[in-house]
Amino acid sequence: MFRNDRVLTDKSQRDALLSAHLSVQYGNKPPVLRGVQLDIQHGEVLGLIGQSGSGKSTLAMAILGLIDRKRVDAQGSIFFEGSDLLTLREAALRSLRGRKIALVLQSPLSSLNPALKIRTQLRETWRAHASGSSADCDSTIRKALESVSLPSDDDFLRKYPAQMSVGQAQRVLIAMAVVHRPALLIADEATSALDVITQAEILKLFRELNQNFGMAILYISHDLASVAGICDRVAILHQGEIVEFGNTQKVLTSPSHEYTQRLLAAMPRMPQASFAAKAAAR
Amino acid sequence: MSFWRRVACAVLLLVVAVSLGASSLAPAGYAKQDREAAGAPPSHAHWLGTDEIGRDRFARVLYGTRISLFLAPAAALISTLLAALVGGLAGYLGGAWARAAMAITDLFLSLPWLFLLITVRALLPLNVSPAFSVLVTFLILGLLGWTAAARVLCATGGSLRNTDFVRQARASGIRGTRLFWIHVLPNMKPVLYAQFWISIPAFILSEANLGILGLGVAEPLPSWGSLLKELEGLVSVGEEPWKFVPLLLLVIVVTSFQLVLSKQDEVAA
Ligand SMILES: Nc1ncnc2c1ncn2[C@@H]1O[C@H](COP(=O)(O)OP(=O)(O)O)[C@@H](O)[C@H]1O
Ligand SMILES: [Mg+2]
Repeated sequence: MFRNDRVLTDKSQRDALLSAHLSVQYGNKPPVLRGVQLDIQHGEVLGLIGQSGSGKSTLAMAILGLIDRKRVDAQGSIFFEGSDLLTLREAALRSLRGRKIALVLQSPLSSLNPALKIRTQLRETWRAHASGSSADCDSTIRKALESVSLPSDDDFLRKYPAQMSVGQAQRVLIAMAVVHRPALLIADEATSALDVITQAEILKLFRELNQNFGMAILYISHDLASVAGICDRVAILHQGEIVEFGNTQKVLTSPSHEYTQRLLAAMPRMPQASFAAKAAAR
Repeated sequence: MSFWRRVACAVLLLVVAVSLGASSLAPAGYAKQDREAAGAPPSHAHWLGTDEIGRDRFARVLYGTRISLFLAPAAALISTLLAALVGGLAGYLGGAWARAAMAITDLFLSLPWLFLLITVRALLPLNVSPAFSVLVTFLILGLLGWTAAARVLCATGGSLRNTDFVRQARASGIRGTRLFWIHVLPNMKPVLYAQFWISIPAFILSEANLGILGLGVAEPLPSWGSLLKELEGLVSVGEEPWKFVPLLLLVIVVTSFQLVLSKQDEVAA
Protein backbone atom coordinates (compact mmCIF):
# COMPACT_ATOMS: atom_id res chain seq x y z
CA MET A 1 0.00 0.00 0.00
CA PHE A 2 1.36 3.42 -0.88
CA ARG A 3 1.32 5.96 1.84
CA ASN A 4 1.56 9.16 -0.12
CA ASP A 5 -1.48 10.69 1.52
CA ARG A 6 -0.39 13.70 3.57
CA VAL A 7 -2.48 12.96 6.63
CA LEU A 8 -1.30 9.92 8.50
CA THR A 9 -3.86 7.36 9.46
CA ASP A 10 -4.26 6.66 13.15
CA LYS A 11 -3.02 3.14 12.71
CA SER A 12 0.18 3.99 10.88
CA GLN A 13 0.92 6.57 13.52
CA ARG A 14 0.40 4.13 16.36
CA ASP A 15 2.49 1.42 14.72
CA ALA A 16 5.24 3.72 13.58
CA LEU A 17 8.69 3.62 15.14
CA LEU A 18 8.68 7.40 14.97
CA SER A 19 6.05 9.85 13.95
CA ALA A 20 6.74 13.54 13.74
CA HIS A 21 4.65 16.61 13.21
CA LEU A 22 7.03 19.47 13.42
CA SER A 23 7.66 23.16 12.82
CA VAL A 24 11.03 24.72 13.57
CA GLN A 25 12.13 28.33 13.57
CA TYR A 26 15.61 29.70 14.31
CA GLY A 27 15.22 32.97 16.19
CA ASN A 28 13.36 35.56 14.17
CA LYS A 29 14.18 34.05 10.79
CA PRO A 30 11.38 32.53 8.71
CA PRO A 31 10.53 28.97 9.81
CA VAL A 32 12.85 26.27 8.47
CA LEU A 33 10.33 23.44 8.86
CA ARG A 34 6.63 24.18 8.47
CA GLY A 35 4.26 21.48 9.69
CA VAL A 36 6.40 18.63 8.47
CA GLN A 37 4.62 15.29 8.90
CA LEU A 38 6.72 12.20 8.76
CA ASP A 39 6.52 8.66 10.04
CA ILE A 40 9.21 6.03 10.08
CA GLN A 41 8.08 2.43 10.26
CA HIS A 42 9.99 -0.32 12.08
CA GLY A 43 12.80 -1.68 9.94
CA GLU A 44 12.25 0.50 6.88
CA VAL A 45 14.70 2.67 4.99
CA LEU A 46 13.14 6.06 4.51
CA GLY A 47 14.82 8.57 2.23
CA LEU A 48 14.55 12.27 3.07
CA ILE A 49 15.45 14.26 -0.01
CA GLY A 50 15.79 18.01 -0.30
CA GLN A 51 18.20 20.56 -1.59
CA SER A 52 20.84 22.06 0.63
CA GLY A 53 19.31 24.47 3.15
CA SER A 54 15.87 22.87 2.97
CA GLY A 55 15.99 21.85 6.64
CA LYS A 56 16.98 18.19 6.50
CA SER A 57 19.68 18.43 9.16
CA THR A 58 17.38 20.52 11.31
CA LEU A 59 14.89 17.65 11.30
CA ALA A 60 17.65 15.17 12.21
CA MET A 61 18.87 17.37 15.06
CA ALA A 62 15.30 17.82 16.32
CA ILE A 63 14.82 14.04 16.45
CA LEU A 64 18.07 13.68 18.41
CA GLY A 65 17.08 16.50 20.76
CA LEU A 66 20.20 18.39 19.80
CA ILE A 67 18.62 21.72 18.93
CA ASP A 68 19.04 24.42 21.50
CA ARG A 69 15.56 24.78 22.97
CA LYS A 70 16.33 28.19 24.40
CA ARG A 71 17.16 29.76 21.07
CA VAL A 72 15.19 27.62 18.65
CA ASP A 73 11.44 27.39 18.57
CA ALA A 74 10.31 23.82 17.86
CA GLN A 75 6.54 23.24 17.82
CA GLY A 76 4.64 20.00 17.43
CA SER A 77 5.56 16.50 18.50
CA ILE A 78 8.00 13.72 17.70
CA PHE A 79 6.65 10.45 19.07
CA PHE A 80 9.22 7.70 19.53
CA GLU A 81 8.50 4.56 21.54
CA GLY A 82 5.58 6.15 23.31
CA SER A 83 7.14 9.44 24.38
CA ASP A 84 7.31 12.86 22.79
CA LEU A 85 10.96 13.67 22.15
CA LEU A 86 10.20 17.39 22.13
CA THR A 87 9.11 17.32 25.76
CA LEU A 88 11.66 14.87 27.15
CA ARG A 89 14.26 16.11 29.61
CA GLU A 90 17.90 16.25 28.59
CA ALA A 91 18.86 13.18 30.66
CA ALA A 92 16.17 11.07 29.02
CA LEU A 93 17.20 12.30 25.58
CA ARG A 94 20.83 11.54 26.29
CA SER A 95 19.98 7.99 27.18
CA LEU A 96 18.25 7.60 23.81
CA ARG A 97 21.05 9.14 21.77
CA GLY A 98 23.45 6.56 20.44
CA ARG A 99 21.50 3.76 22.14
CA LYS A 100 18.09 3.94 20.43
CA ILE A 101 18.71 6.63 17.83
CA ALA A 102 22.13 6.95 16.26
CA LEU A 103 23.63 9.45 13.84
CA VAL A 104 26.14 9.22 11.01
CA LEU A 105 27.31 12.54 9.63
CA GLN A 106 28.49 13.61 6.23
CA SER A 107 32.25 14.04 6.28
CA PRO A 108 33.82 11.02 7.93
CA LEU A 109 37.23 12.52 8.59
CA SER A 110 35.90 15.55 10.45
CA SER A 111 33.26 13.53 12.30
CA LEU A 112 35.92 11.39 13.94
CA ASN A 113 37.95 13.01 16.70
CA PRO A 114 41.40 13.72 15.22
CA ALA A 115 43.07 13.49 18.63
CA LEU A 116 41.74 10.07 19.62
CA LYS A 117 42.54 6.57 18.51
CA ILE A 118 39.77 4.53 16.90
CA ARG A 119 39.72 2.27 19.95
CA THR A 120 39.18 5.17 22.32
CA GLN A 121 36.33 6.56 20.25
CA LEU A 122 34.59 3.20 20.01
CA ARG A 123 35.09 2.57 23.73
CA GLU A 124 33.67 5.98 24.58
CA THR A 125 30.62 5.24 22.47
CA TRP A 126 30.16 1.93 24.25
CA ARG A 127 30.71 3.40 27.70
CA ALA A 128 28.09 6.08 27.12
CA HIS A 129 25.35 3.46 27.55
CA ALA A 130 26.94 0.32 28.95
CA SER A 131 28.99 -0.70 31.92
CA GLY A 132 31.09 -3.79 32.28
CA SER A 133 34.60 -5.11 31.95
CA SER A 134 36.91 -3.88 29.23
CA ALA A 135 36.75 -7.40 27.76
CA ASP A 136 32.98 -7.00 27.28
CA CYS A 137 33.65 -3.62 25.72
CA ASP A 138 36.32 -4.91 23.36
CA SER A 139 34.22 -7.84 22.18
CA THR A 140 31.29 -5.51 21.40
CA ILE A 141 33.63 -3.14 19.57
CA ARG A 142 35.10 -5.96 17.51
CA LYS A 143 31.65 -7.22 16.58
CA ALA A 144 30.62 -3.74 15.49
CA LEU A 145 33.75 -3.42 13.34
CA GLU A 146 33.16 -6.83 11.78
CA SER A 147 29.56 -5.91 10.97
CA VAL A 148 30.86 -3.07 8.80
CA SER A 149 33.56 -5.29 7.22
CA LEU A 150 36.49 -3.57 8.90
CA PRO A 151 39.49 -5.29 10.45
CA SER A 152 39.20 -5.52 14.23
CA ASP A 153 42.81 -6.28 15.12
CA ASP A 154 44.87 -4.19 17.53
CA ASP A 155 46.85 -2.56 14.73
CA PHE A 156 43.68 -1.15 13.28
CA LEU A 157 42.27 -0.10 16.65
CA ARG A 158 45.45 1.84 17.37
CA LYS A 159 45.01 4.04 14.31
CA TYR A 160 44.12 7.69 14.33
CA PRO A 161 41.48 8.95 11.86
CA ALA A 162 44.14 10.66 9.76
CA GLN A 163 45.75 7.28 9.11
CA MET A 164 42.67 5.88 7.37
CA SER A 165 41.04 6.27 3.99
CA VAL A 166 37.78 8.19 3.77
CA GLY A 167 35.86 4.99 3.09
CA GLN A 168 37.36 3.30 6.16
CA ALA A 169 36.62 6.34 8.30
CA GLN A 170 33.00 6.30 7.17
CA ARG A 171 32.79 2.62 8.12
CA VAL A 172 34.24 3.39 11.55
CA LEU A 173 31.56 6.04 12.02
CA ILE A 174 28.91 3.54 11.06
CA ALA A 175 30.42 0.97 13.41
CA MET A 176 30.20 3.56 16.21
CA ALA A 177 26.58 4.15 15.32
CA VAL A 178 25.65 0.45 15.49
CA VAL A 179 27.54 -0.43 18.69
CA HIS A 180 24.28 -0.38 20.67
CA ARG A 181 22.11 -1.73 17.83
CA PRO A 182 19.83 1.33 17.66
CA ALA A 183 16.26 1.03 16.45
CA LEU A 184 16.77 4.05 14.23
CA LEU A 185 19.87 5.18 12.40
CA ILE A 186 19.92 8.67 10.94
CA ALA A 187 22.38 9.02 8.07
CA ASP A 188 22.74 12.73 7.30
CA GLU A 189 24.33 12.98 3.85
CA ALA A 190 26.43 10.02 4.91
CA THR A 191 27.58 9.20 1.39
CA SER A 192 27.58 12.66 -0.17
CA ALA A 193 31.28 13.25 0.40
CA LEU A 194 32.40 9.92 -1.05
CA ASP A 195 33.46 8.93 -4.54
CA VAL A 196 30.87 6.90 -6.45
CA ILE A 197 32.45 3.48 -5.87
CA THR A 198 32.87 3.98 -2.12
CA GLN A 199 29.39 5.49 -2.08
CA ALA A 200 27.92 2.35 -3.62
CA GLU A 201 29.77 0.18 -1.10
CA ILE A 202 28.54 2.21 1.84
CA LEU A 203 24.98 2.22 0.55
CA LYS A 204 25.16 -1.57 0.26
CA LEU A 205 26.47 -1.70 3.82
CA PHE A 206 23.51 0.35 5.07
CA ARG A 207 21.18 -2.02 3.28
CA GLU A 208 22.85 -5.02 4.93
CA LEU A 209 22.70 -3.45 8.38
CA ASN A 210 19.05 -2.69 7.80
CA GLN A 211 18.33 -6.29 6.82
CA ASN A 212 20.58 -8.02 9.38
CA PHE A 213 19.67 -5.96 12.42
CA GLY A 214 16.17 -4.87 11.40
CA MET A 215 17.31 -1.33 12.07
CA ALA A 216 15.23 1.47 10.55
CA ILE A 217 17.23 4.08 8.64
CA LEU A 218 16.37 7.68 7.94
CA TYR A 219 18.52 8.33 4.92
CA ILE A 220 19.03 12.05 4.35
CA SER A 221 20.41 13.22 1.02
CA HIS A 222 20.22 16.04 -1.49
CA ASP A 223 20.55 13.52 -4.28
CA LEU A 224 17.51 11.40 -5.08
CA ALA A 225 19.28 9.35 -7.73
CA SER A 226 22.02 8.02 -5.45
CA VAL A 227 19.75 6.79 -2.68
CA ALA A 228 16.64 5.68 -4.55
CA GLY A 229 18.14 2.21 -4.74
CA ILE A 230 18.08 1.54 -1.01
CA CYS A 231 14.97 3.41 0.11
CA ASP A 232 11.61 1.71 0.69
CA ARG A 233 9.91 5.07 0.79
CA VAL A 234 11.05 8.62 0.11
CA ALA A 235 9.92 11.98 1.43
CA ILE A 236 10.72 15.08 -0.60
CA LEU A 237 11.36 18.19 1.47
CA HIS A 238 10.97 21.51 -0.31
CA GLN A 239 10.95 24.95 1.28
CA GLY A 240 10.25 23.52 4.72
CA GLU A 241 7.40 21.26 3.70
CA ILE A 242 7.09 17.64 2.69
CA VAL A 243 5.76 17.92 -0.85
CA GLU A 244 5.82 14.25 -1.72
CA PHE A 245 5.90 11.18 0.49
CA GLY A 246 5.47 7.60 -0.59
CA ASN A 247 6.79 4.40 -2.02
CA THR A 248 10.06 5.03 -3.87
CA GLN A 249 8.94 3.34 -7.08
CA LYS A 250 5.75 5.36 -7.17
CA VAL A 251 7.51 8.67 -6.53
CA LEU A 252 10.04 7.90 -9.26
CA THR A 253 7.49 6.88 -11.87
CA SER A 254 4.54 9.13 -11.17
CA PRO A 255 5.54 12.15 -9.13
CA SER A 256 2.61 14.33 -8.19
CA HIS A 257 4.33 17.54 -7.11
CA GLU A 258 5.91 19.95 -9.57
CA TYR A 259 9.14 20.12 -7.52
CA THR A 260 9.57 16.35 -7.62
CA GLN A 261 9.03 16.40 -11.36
CA ARG A 262 11.80 18.97 -11.75
CA LEU A 263 14.01 16.92 -9.45
CA LEU A 264 13.49 13.82 -11.59
CA ALA A 265 14.07 15.73 -14.80
CA ALA A 266 17.41 16.88 -13.41
CA MET A 267 18.50 13.33 -12.59
CA PRO A 268 21.53 12.23 -14.62
CA ARG A 269 20.91 9.47 -17.18
CA MET A 270 23.32 6.85 -18.36
CA PRO A 271 25.11 8.03 -21.55
CA GLN A 272 24.11 4.89 -23.46
CA ALA A 273 20.48 5.44 -22.63
CA SER A 274 20.45 9.00 -23.91
CA PHE A 275 22.48 7.87 -26.93
CA ALA A 276 19.88 5.25 -27.69
CA ALA A 277 17.11 7.76 -27.23
CA LYS A 278 18.78 10.15 -29.68
CA ALA A 279 19.35 7.35 -32.18
CA ALA A 280 15.71 6.33 -31.94
CA ALA A 281 14.62 9.92 -32.49
CA ARG A 282 16.65 10.09 -35.72
CA MET B 1 66.58 24.92 12.59
CA SER B 2 68.37 28.19 12.04
CA PHE B 3 71.84 28.87 13.37
CA TRP B 4 70.68 31.27 16.06
CA ARG B 5 67.99 28.94 17.32
CA ARG B 6 70.60 26.22 17.68
CA VAL B 7 72.84 28.56 19.61
CA ALA B 8 69.90 29.56 21.83
CA CYS B 9 69.07 25.91 22.50
CA ALA B 10 72.68 25.16 23.37
CA VAL B 11 72.83 28.16 25.71
CA LEU B 12 69.66 27.08 27.53
CA LEU B 13 70.87 23.51 27.89
CA LEU B 14 74.23 24.75 29.17
CA VAL B 15 72.60 27.02 31.75
CA VAL B 16 70.32 24.22 32.95
CA ALA B 17 73.22 21.74 33.13
CA VAL B 18 75.49 24.13 35.02
CA SER B 19 72.74 25.05 37.48
CA LEU B 20 72.01 21.38 38.09
CA GLY B 21 75.69 20.82 38.80
CA ALA B 22 75.69 23.61 41.38
CA SER B 23 76.55 21.39 44.35
CA SER B 24 79.79 20.12 42.76
CA LEU B 25 80.75 23.35 40.97
CA ALA B 26 80.24 25.48 44.04
CA PRO B 27 80.64 23.20 47.04
CA ALA B 28 80.57 26.17 49.45
CA GLY B 29 76.79 26.39 48.99
CA TYR B 30 74.58 29.44 48.78
CA ALA B 31 74.24 30.16 52.49
CA LYS B 32 77.73 29.75 53.94
CA GLN B 33 79.03 33.08 55.17
CA ASP B 34 82.71 33.93 54.94
CA ARG B 35 82.84 36.88 57.35
CA GLU B 36 86.55 37.51 56.68
CA ALA B 37 85.86 38.23 52.99
CA ALA B 38 82.50 40.07 53.02
CA GLY B 39 81.93 42.19 49.92
CA ALA B 40 85.14 40.91 48.33
CA PRO B 41 85.91 41.31 44.62
CA PRO B 42 86.41 38.21 42.41
CA SER B 43 89.29 35.96 43.47
CA HIS B 44 90.46 32.41 43.01
CA ALA B 45 88.30 31.27 45.92
CA HIS B 46 85.23 33.36 44.96
CA TRP B 47 84.98 33.68 41.15
CA LEU B 48 82.35 36.36 41.31
CA GLY B 49 83.30 37.75 44.66
CA THR B 50 81.10 37.67 47.76
CA ASP B 51 78.06 39.60 48.90
CA GLU B 52 77.74 41.92 51.92
CA ILE B 53 77.66 39.04 54.37
CA GLY B 54 80.38 37.03 52.68
CA ARG B 55 78.39 34.49 50.70
CA ASP B 56 79.95 33.19 47.50
CA ARG B 57 78.22 35.02 44.64
CA PHE B 58 79.02 32.33 42.06
CA ALA B 59 77.29 29.69 44.20
CA ARG B 60 74.31 31.99 44.75
CA VAL B 61 73.97 32.61 41.01
CA LEU B 62 74.02 28.88 40.27
CA TYR B 63 71.46 28.00 42.95
CA GLY B 64 69.38 31.04 42.07
CA THR B 65 69.31 29.95 38.44
CA ARG B 66 68.17 26.54 39.55
CA ILE B 67 65.27 27.98 41.55
CA SER B 68 64.20 30.50 38.92
CA LEU B 69 64.37 27.93 36.16
CA PHE B 70 62.28 25.55 38.24
CA LEU B 71 59.73 28.11 39.37
CA ALA B 72 58.91 29.49 35.94
CA PRO B 73 57.87 26.19 34.26
CA ALA B 74 55.99 25.13 37.40
CA ALA B 75 54.04 28.38 37.37
CA ALA B 76 53.56 28.06 33.61
CA LEU B 77 52.09 24.60 34.17
CA ILE B 78 49.56 25.74 36.77
CA SER B 79 48.58 28.85 34.81
CA THR B 80 48.13 26.85 31.58
CA LEU B 81 45.96 24.31 33.38
CA LEU B 82 43.88 27.08 34.92
CA ALA B 83 43.54 28.72 31.53
CA ALA B 84 42.41 25.43 30.00
CA LEU B 85 39.86 24.88 32.75
CA VAL B 86 38.48 28.40 32.90
CA GLY B 87 39.01 29.66 29.35
CA GLY B 88 38.74 26.40 27.47
CA LEU B 89 35.68 25.14 29.32
CA ALA B 90 33.87 28.48 29.14
CA GLY B 91 34.67 28.82 25.45
CA TYR B 92 33.45 25.30 24.82
CA LEU B 93 30.21 25.96 26.74
CA GLY B 94 29.82 29.24 24.89
CA GLY B 95 27.12 31.86 25.38
CA ALA B 96 26.83 33.32 28.87
CA TRP B 97 29.68 31.12 30.17
CA ALA B 98 32.14 32.48 27.64
CA ARG B 99 31.03 36.05 28.33
CA ALA B 100 31.39 35.55 32.10
CA ALA B 101 34.87 34.05 31.73
CA MET B 102 35.99 36.93 29.53
CA ALA B 103 34.60 39.43 32.02
CA ILE B 104 36.59 37.75 34.81
CA THR B 105 39.80 37.79 32.79
CA ASP B 106 39.22 41.47 31.98
CA LEU B 107 38.77 42.16 35.67
CA PHE B 108 41.97 40.26 36.44
CA LEU B 109 43.89 42.19 33.80
CA SER B 110 42.71 45.54 35.12
CA LEU B 111 43.40 45.05 38.84
CA PRO B 112 46.36 46.99 40.31
CA TRP B 113 48.43 43.89 40.95
CA LEU B 114 51.55 45.57 42.19
CA PHE B 115 49.59 47.28 44.92
CA LEU B 116 47.73 44.09 45.82
CA LEU B 117 50.94 42.06 45.93
CA ILE B 118 52.64 44.53 48.23
CA THR B 119 49.56 44.38 50.45
CA VAL B 120 49.57 40.60 50.47
CA ARG B 121 53.26 40.55 51.31
CA ALA B 122 52.65 43.00 54.11
CA LEU B 123 49.98 40.74 55.56
CA LEU B 124 52.28 37.72 55.55
CA PRO B 125 54.64 37.30 58.53
CA LEU B 126 58.03 38.92 58.00
CA ASN B 127 60.21 35.87 58.20
CA VAL B 128 58.42 33.17 56.29
CA SER B 129 60.35 29.99 55.74
CA PRO B 130 62.22 29.85 52.40
CA ALA B 131 60.27 26.79 51.21
CA PHE B 132 56.98 28.54 51.96
CA SER B 133 58.13 31.64 50.08
CA VAL B 134 58.94 29.52 47.05
CA LEU B 135 55.45 28.02 47.19
CA VAL B 136 53.82 31.45 47.55
CA THR B 137 55.83 32.92 44.68
CA PHE B 138 54.89 29.99 42.51
CA LEU B 139 51.21 30.35 43.37
CA ILE B 140 51.20 34.12 42.84
CA LEU B 141 52.81 33.74 39.41
CA GLY B 142 50.55 30.87 38.41
CA LEU B 143 47.33 32.43 39.68
CA LEU B 144 48.02 35.82 38.14
CA GLY B 145 49.47 34.70 34.86
CA TRP B 146 46.65 32.59 33.47
CA THR B 147 44.45 35.30 31.98
CA ALA B 148 46.17 35.89 28.64
CA ALA B 149 46.26 32.16 27.96
CA ALA B 150 42.62 31.87 29.04
CA ARG B 151 41.57 34.28 26.28
CA VAL B 152 43.34 32.19 23.65
CA LEU B 153 41.86 28.96 24.99
CA CYS B 154 38.38 30.44 25.18
CA ALA B 155 38.55 31.06 21.45
CA THR B 156 39.87 27.52 20.87
CA GLY B 157 37.07 26.04 22.97
CA GLY B 158 34.49 28.02 21.03
CA SER B 159 35.72 26.72 17.71
CA LEU B 160 35.82 23.13 19.01
CA ARG B 161 32.20 23.31 20.15
CA ASN B 162 30.98 23.54 16.57
CA THR B 163 33.06 20.75 15.10
CA ASP B 164 31.51 17.69 13.52
CA PHE B 165 33.24 15.32 15.90
CA VAL B 166 31.83 17.06 18.97
CA ARG B 167 28.36 16.95 17.39
CA GLN B 168 28.89 13.29 16.57
CA ALA B 169 30.04 12.53 20.13
CA ARG B 170 27.03 14.36 21.54
CA ALA B 171 24.76 12.38 19.24
CA SER B 172 26.32 9.23 20.72
CA GLY B 173 24.93 10.16 24.11
CA ILE B 174 28.26 10.96 25.72
CA ARG B 175 27.87 12.96 28.92
CA GLY B 176 28.84 16.65 29.03
CA THR B 177 31.77 16.38 31.45
CA ARG B 178 33.24 13.37 29.68
CA LEU B 179 32.79 15.09 26.35
CA PHE B 180 34.96 17.94 27.57
CA TRP B 181 37.68 15.85 29.22
CA ILE B 182 38.02 13.08 26.67
CA HIS B 183 36.95 14.65 23.40
CA VAL B 184 37.56 18.38 23.63
CA LEU B 185 40.60 18.83 25.88
CA PRO B 186 42.99 16.63 23.85
CA ASN B 187 42.27 18.82 20.85
CA MET B 188 43.50 21.84 22.81
CA LYS B 189 46.91 20.23 23.33
CA PRO B 190 48.80 22.12 20.59
CA VAL B 191 47.51 25.44 21.96
CA LEU B 192 48.23 24.37 25.53
CA TYR B 193 51.83 23.46 24.67
CA ALA B 194 52.34 26.77 22.90
CA GLN B 195 50.88 28.70 25.84
CA PHE B 196 53.03 26.75 28.31
CA TRP B 197 56.27 27.52 26.50
CA ILE B 198 55.41 31.13 25.82
CA SER B 199 54.66 31.82 29.48
CA ILE B 200 57.99 30.49 30.77
CA PRO B 201 60.11 33.55 29.83
CA ALA B 202 57.29 35.81 30.98
CA PHE B 203 57.30 34.11 34.37
CA ILE B 204 61.09 34.29 34.64
CA LEU B 205 60.79 38.07 34.28
CA SER B 206 57.83 38.27 36.67
CA GLU B 207 59.74 36.33 39.30
CA ALA B 208 62.65 38.73 38.91
CA ASN B 209 60.26 41.66 39.35
CA LEU B 210 58.75 40.17 42.49
CA GLY B 211 62.25 39.50 43.82
CA ILE B 212 63.41 43.08 43.28
CA LEU B 213 60.36 44.25 45.25
CA GLY B 214 61.28 41.83 48.01
CA LEU B 215 58.10 39.84 47.42
CA GLY B 216 59.66 36.72 45.99
CA VAL B 217 61.79 33.92 47.30
CA ALA B 218 62.93 34.57 50.89
CA GLU B 219 66.47 34.65 52.26
CA PRO B 220 68.73 32.79 52.45
CA LEU B 221 67.46 31.07 49.28
CA PRO B 222 68.72 32.87 46.19
CA SER B 223 66.76 33.48 43.00
CA TRP B 224 67.38 35.81 40.10
CA GLY B 225 64.94 38.23 41.64
CA SER B 226 66.72 38.41 45.01
CA LEU B 227 70.14 38.51 43.32
CA LEU B 228 69.06 41.51 41.24
CA LYS B 229 68.06 43.27 44.43
CA GLU B 230 71.77 43.69 45.09
CA LEU B 231 71.96 46.11 42.17
CA GLU B 232 69.77 48.58 44.08
CA GLY B 233 72.62 50.08 46.09
CA LEU B 234 75.05 50.21 43.19
CA VAL B 235 76.53 53.64 42.69
CA SER B 236 78.27 53.28 39.34
CA VAL B 237 78.11 50.64 36.60
CA GLY B 238 81.83 50.46 36.05
CA GLU B 239 82.71 50.01 39.70
CA GLU B 240 81.80 46.36 40.31
CA PRO B 241 80.87 44.83 36.96
CA TRP B 242 80.71 41.25 38.36
CA LYS B 243 77.54 42.19 40.23
CA PHE B 244 75.83 42.35 36.86
CA VAL B 245 76.30 38.68 36.13
CA PRO B 246 72.78 37.66 37.34
CA LEU B 247 71.23 40.39 35.16
CA LEU B 248 73.30 39.28 32.17
CA LEU B 249 72.27 35.69 32.74
CA LEU B 250 68.60 36.68 32.99
CA VAL B 251 68.78 38.61 29.73
CA ILE B 252 70.60 35.79 27.96
CA VAL B 253 68.16 33.11 29.12
CA VAL B 254 65.00 35.10 28.33
CA THR B 255 66.36 36.09 24.92
CA SER B 256 67.31 32.49 24.17
CA PHE B 257 63.83 31.36 25.12
CA GLN B 258 62.26 33.91 22.79
CA LEU B 259 64.57 32.81 19.99
CA VAL B 260 63.76 29.14 20.46
CA LEU B 261 60.03 29.88 20.64
CA SER B 262 59.83 32.28 17.71
CA LYS B 263 59.56 29.39 15.25
CA GLN B 264 57.32 27.23 17.44
CA ASP B 265 54.72 29.98 17.51
CA GLU B 266 54.42 29.91 13.77
CA VAL B 267 54.02 26.15 13.81
CA ALA B 268 51.37 26.26 16.53
CA ALA B 269 49.44 29.12 14.97
N1 LIG C 1 21.90 26.85 14.32
C1 LIG C 1 21.27 27.55 13.35
N2 LIG C 1 20.95 28.86 13.58
C2 LIG C 1 20.32 29.58 12.63
N3 LIG C 1 19.94 29.11 11.44
C3 LIG C 1 20.22 27.83 11.16
C4 LIG C 1 20.91 26.98 12.09
N4 LIG C 1 21.05 25.76 11.54
C5 LIG C 1 20.49 25.83 10.31
N5 LIG C 1 19.99 27.06 10.09
C6 LIG C 1 19.29 27.49 8.87
O1 LIG C 1 18.24 26.59 8.62
C7 LIG C 1 18.15 26.28 7.26
C8 LIG C 1 18.18 24.79 7.06
O2 LIG C 1 19.42 24.30 7.44
P1 LIG C 1 19.73 22.74 7.49
O3 LIG C 1 18.75 22.08 8.36
O4 LIG C 1 21.17 22.57 7.84
O5 LIG C 1 19.49 22.33 5.96
P2 LIG C 1 20.04 21.08 5.14
O6 LIG C 1 20.58 20.08 6.07
O7 LIG C 1 18.84 20.60 4.39
O8 LIG C 1 21.07 21.61 4.20
C9 LIG C 1 19.29 27.00 6.56
O9 LIG C 1 18.78 28.13 5.90
C10 LIG C 1 20.21 27.40 7.67
O10 LIG C 1 20.79 28.65 7.38
MG1 LIG D 1 22.51 19.23 6.19
